[in-house]
This record gives sequence, C-alpha cells and structure tokens, in this order.
Amino acid sequence: MKRKKKYLWLSVLSVCAALGVWELVTDILQLMPSYMLPSPAAVVEAFIYKLTGGVNPDGATLWQHISTSLKIALGGYTAGVVIGVPLGIAMAWYKKVDLFVKPLFDLLRPVPPLAWIPLLILWFGIGYSAKVAVIFLSAMIACVVNSYAGIKQTRQVHIWVAQTFGASDLEILFRVAIPTAWPMIFTGLKTSLGSAWMALVAAELLASTSGLGYMIQMARQMGRADIIIVGMFVIGVIGSLMSGILDLLGKKFVHRGGSK
Amino acid sequence: MEPASQVILQCEHLSRSFRRPDGSMYQVLGDVSFSVHENEFLVLFGPGQCGKTTLLKLLAGLDRPDGGTVKMNGQPVAAPAPSRGVVYQTTALFPWMTVMGNVSFGPLAQGLSKEESRRRAQYFIDLVGLHGFENHYPNQLSGGMQQRVGIARAYCSNPQVLLMDEPFGHLDAQTRYMMEEELVRIWQEEKRTVIFVTNNIEEALYLADRLILLTDCPAVIRREYPIRLARPRDYVDPEFLHLRQEISRQMDPAQ
Amino acid sequence: MSRIPAKLQRWFRQNRQALLWVVISFSCLLAAWQIASMASGGRLQIPPPLEVFQAFFTAFVKPIGQNTILEHAAISLGRVLSGFAVATVVGVVLGIAMGVSDAVYAIANPIFEFVRPIPPIAWIPLSILWFGLGSANKVFIIFIGSFTYITINSYEGARNVDPQLIGAAQMLGASRLRIFTKIIFPSAVPYIFAGLQIALGVSWAADVAAEIIYSQSGVGWIITMGMNNGNYTQIMVGIIAIGVIGYLLSTVMRAVEGRLCRWNRQAK
Repeated sequence: MKRKKKYLWLSVLSVCAALGVWELVTDILQLMPSYMLPSPAAVVEAFIYKLTGGVNPDGATLWQHISTSLKIALGGYTAGVVIGVPLGIAMAWYKKVDLFVKPLFDLLRPVPPLAWIPLLILWFGIGYSAKVAVIFLSAMIACVVNSYAGIKQTRQVHIWVAQTFGASDLEILFRVAIPTAWPMIFTGLKTSLGSAWMALVAAELLASTSGLGYMIQMARQMGRADIIIVGMFVIGVIGSLMSGILDLLGKKFVHRGGSK
Repeated sequence: MEPASQVILQCEHLSRSFRRPDGSMYQVLGDVSFSVHENEFLVLFGPGQCGKTTLLKLLAGLDRPDGGTVKMNGQPVAAPAPSRGVVYQTTALFPWMTVMGNVSFGPLAQGLSKEESRRRAQYFIDLVGLHGFENHYPNQLSGGMQQRVGIARAYCSNPQVLLMDEPFGHLDAQTRYMMEEELVRIWQEEKRTVIFVTNNIEEALYLADRLILLTDCPAVIRREYPIRLARPRDYVDPEFLHLRQEISRQMDPAQ
Repeated sequence: MSRIPAKLQRWFRQNRQALLWVVISFSCLLAAWQIASMASGGRLQIPPPLEVFQAFFTAFVKPIGQNTILEHAAISLGRVLSGFAVATVVGVVLGIAMGVSDAVYAIANPIFEFVRPIPPIAWIPLSILWFGLGSANKVFIIFIGSFTYITINSYEGARNVDPQLIGAAQMLGASRLRIFTKIIFPSAVPYIFAGLQIALGVSWAADVAAEIIYSQSGVGWIITMGMNNGNYTQIMVGIIAIGVIGYLLSTVMRAVEGRLCRWNRQAK
C-alpha cells in the first residue's frame, strides 16, 4: 500500500487526532472508566512495566509470555509446513492420492481449526501438545491448499518440454512442477503463519498457564484493560515481524524469473 | 538439388479426432502420409488453426493417433524422446531458470555430467548468438531472443529431428525476418532434419527444401512442392513471387 | 423432463471414478474412526461414529442446554451475519474511499495498518470488557475480523481499475460521478467479492472462537459445554454442526458471487 507522500501531514494529523480523542475520553472527560479504556499514558506505563520485568497481574514477565507463545506457535507451524506442503504437492501430482485424500480434506476444511481446541484439550490436557496440535492443523490446511493450487498451475507445455528431453516423472515434478508452484507455496507459508498465530492466541485464551493469550485473559478477569491493550499490541507486532521475516526469506529464495 | 538421402521419419495414414464438450467428435487430421529425409528442411504449410499442431504433436510422441503410425528410423514412435526436439509456438522456456539453465536442461535430464552439459549448452548458446546472456532470465529477453533460447535448447539435446511449431508466430514482422535468416544460418551450420509448421507463406517459402500444403479441418495433404531456390533466398525474387502466387492459388478453398 | 435424468446420467458417468474414490475414502475414515473408538480409553476417548451421528440427529428435537441444535445454529448465524453485514458496509465504503481519494487514504491508513496485524481473536478480552458477555461482544469480534479483509480488497479493487478505461470515459465526456458508478465501482466488485469470501470464513472462525471462549448459547457453546462435562460425543456433534454451517456459508457466498460477477468469469 504505497502512495504518494503529498498528504503526509494528514497522516500525522490523523494519528495525533486519534491519540487526542483517546486522551480526551479517558483522562480529560473521563467518559470511559479506566477498567474499560485506560488512558494512552496508562497503557504506555503498563507496557514499560511489563517490558522491564513486571510480573503482575499474571505472574510472569512479558518476555516469558512471548517465549512460551513463540515456542508453541513455531513448533506447531513447523510441523504443519513439513506435513502440509508435501501432502499438497503429492495430492496435486499423483491422481490416486488426490482421489483418496481430497474427499477427507474437503470434509475437514469447512471446520475452523479453532473448533478442535476443546476436544484436543480433553485429549491432551492444557499443556503444550493440545496447543501445538491445533496450530499444526491451522497451518497445515493453508499449506495443503496453496501447494496443491501451485502445482496445478504447471503449464502443460513445460511438461511436454521436459518429456521430450527424456525427463522422468519425478524429475518433472522436482524440476518443473515444484519451481512453478514455489510462489504459491510461499503464499501458503505466509497465510499459514497468520492462521497459526491466530490459533495460538485462541488456544491460550481458552486454556493455558502462560503465554500472551493467557496474559490478556488474566488481565480481563482482573479488569486490567491497560495490560490487555499491551498484550494485543505485542501480539500484533510479533505477527507482523514474523511475516516480515518470511517476506525477506521469500525475496531471497523465490526465483526472480517467475514474477514480471 | 538434395541428393536422395535416407528416410528418417515416416508417417502412414495418420488421423486424429477430438471429442467436443457436448460429446460429438470432430476430425482435425484425416489420413496423412509422408516421409522426411535426413537433413531435409520440411515445411508443413496450411491455412487456419486446424491440424498442424496436432500433427506435430503426433510426430513428437506427445499425442497418439487414432489411426496410422509414425516411424522413426523404422521404429514406431510411442512416447516423446530426446531424439526429436521440439521448439514451441509460445516460448515454452522455464521462467525460473536462466538461459544456461534452460539450454542445459536436456543434457542434464539425459544424465550427462554438469560440466559436459554446460559445455554443450555454451556451444549452442554461442551458435544462436546469445553469448553473454547465459545468466539472464527469460523475462529479461526480447521475444526474438527468447525463441533463440528455445532453438538452442532444442538443439542441445542433440536430436536427429527438430520439430518447430510456428516458433516465430508471435514475433513482429521485422524480428520475424531476422529470425528466419538466423534459423537458416544455424541450420546450415548444424545440419539437422527440421519439420517446421507455419501458416505464413513467405516464411514457408523462405525456409523450405520441400513444402507440404495442408488443407484446413480436417487437415489432409493437398500438394507437395520441392522448393529449389538457391539460399540465401530473396523475398522479392521473381521466382519466389511466382511460387508464392501459385501456392496461394492452390490454397483458395474455392478451387 | 427427460433432459434432466440424461444430464444426471452423464454426470454420473463422467464422475464415476471420483465418486467411487469418495466412497472408498469415506469408508476408510469411518472404519478407522470405529477402530480408534474401540481402542481408545481413559482420557483419550473417541466416541464411535454411530453414537455421534445419532446424537447429532437427536439434537434436532432434543435440546442441548436451552436450545435444539437448529436454534443454536440460528443464534450463531445471527451473530455472524450482523457482524458481517456491518463490516461489509463499513469496509466497502472505507476501502473504496481510500482507493479513490489520497486524502482519505492518508487519514485512514496509519490507523488501519496499526489495527490490521492484530488477530481478531486477540480482541476477545477487550470486547468482553466493553460489550459484556452476550451477543454484542461476538458481533464486535466478527466485525473486526471481517472488516480488515473487506477494506483491503475494496481498496485494491478501486486502485486496480484499468486506467485506459478511465481515460476512455473521460474522453467521452463522462462526469466524475459517472466514472465512479459506471467504471470504478463495477471493476472493484470482483475484488470486493474475493474479500467477502475470505471475510465470511474468518467471521465464522471468529464467532466459533468467541463462543468457545465465552458464551451461553450457539454452536461454539455446545463444544465448550461438552469439554466442561467431559462429554466427547457432544463436542463431536458441535464440530459437525460447525462444519456444516461453514460449508453452507462458503457455498452460498460462491453462488452469489457467481451470479453477480458473471462477466468476470474467465473462459478456461
């Protein structure tokens, strides 16, 4: 979303106005009680408090919450990618796999992965594994869908070329179909990272003893809206950071030739 | 002028039909037979969109005929093989590979070593006049240069027969003339049997040793012309124009 | 009359292989499920398929909690559709305004970009504080979740109008309003619909999450109650209901899109 800088002053003004209104309804006019909407200053204060090692009201520092959340999210995400991408490729390339797996997959797909959380919690308890499982499921679905679509984009004429050169089926898959699919597979990696992060927050809101989702859930029970806003902000920033890193990797590894 | 040389590729009574979405059949190729001699430049020329590409795909082994056989060196053709290289209509280059990657794809797929493949690819890249562009990606090249890569790639797996499916159809007129000249130069330097499909009469006459005139839908052979003009040919040479007129008259469906 | 069976016959003939495989893979699934349920025990319980289906259909007449399953579904759908409707109106207006006017873009974009990366589910605690425990907080979550997608796509749609079309219209003397209603808006419609399609999926997921995390009714509640009571069958019933509704929502959306964007369908 890049546009000309002519109206930069408007952007600055708009941010200032938003902060101004926020300040107005909280500190100055006191229209909203602080347990519902704390003032900007209170949020900044809470942020600094949590950042510098404050453990109230949820019993852990911000860094501890972040590291718990990241560990679970990345664990589930990695598993989802490692299984989802090859599965999507196999479904798209081998007709038999497609015919067998597609109906099952279509059955699974309309259920938002978050709906499995309660069942997984009953099965695996509120520890690490239930959350990893639901994140795995969320990440895998997006990976399968995109890898599948990517492989299906392979142009017939490219397959012909490879065939006339005597390439085997497996060679065609690896040297023609997968390179074609790369950009789509990468989109899948990005989408699934977003779903994984969202699933993590949901799982932690529902049942956990630490992590960013737990932090904001506890803050709600204590009526600490300042901590909630800090938590939401951190969740948003980490989400953007991870997708930014993935973008950088993408620029490095996705071939230049395909995009014009 | 061409001495009677060995027959390398032979089609007998080829026919092919396709099923329309509503279930009815339509025939695109009806009973076509001809032979191709070693190192001959054969042009399959015909109006319209029908049959020529199908015929070429049958020769390549990318499609199976409903009736008839294709034989290469006496052996029936059942599947695509490196001995029959194809240059496609639109550039079928792999966009994610460099020029070098595209051209060396064939030898690598056939199991040659990396160094040997690169060495061969380099030779053909130089031959088509793309020295210095080895590390460019296809979308960084002009249309004419892309087709040069296509030609080099087809040559590089060392085929006995080169099948070309309107390779210059999407180029502008100027580039097209230039590429025709280039193709003749390359072909004279590295002689192969070429079967070239086109619907452009000028191109057909400029390139062909022998020209087969096909009808439209279903395609059958209307006539054959040996073209005995000296190379390099001239588009406004009286003999050239005379042949052009005669063949154009033959194309007229009212005839 | 006689044409329809013929069509159906042809459809069956053409899809015989696929249908056969659907039967095979579903049978495998049911068999695996049955075996797993017999082998399961302790905490890792899996109710047998027959019991789950029975419970699912019983729930149509015999209420789970206060409501039958259809009533729960209606409650959930009502929340989704109201949040989604508000988000559609706000998102389309804001997105197109951002696309057309540099000033609106400059004002709205910084705030939008700040809110966008926060997953809708992270709003749940704040939403509960603001709107209480009832339906309103779910509607708000659904609004937040779908609003971002609809805005982005409407914006992209308004930005990606073929400038040649605008040039041609200007040459023909069309007014600015006419250019907007006849060119910019119609070309943005396919983008908007792509956004609506994603947004509806996200809405449904957000509603389910909000209901699972805190609610007194709705299909998500069925699951949470099942979890709290250790009733595995009830959880599975809830999951099936959620899947069916999710499927219906995306099918209806696709059908609507197919009708309204017929001109945009590419010949394949």
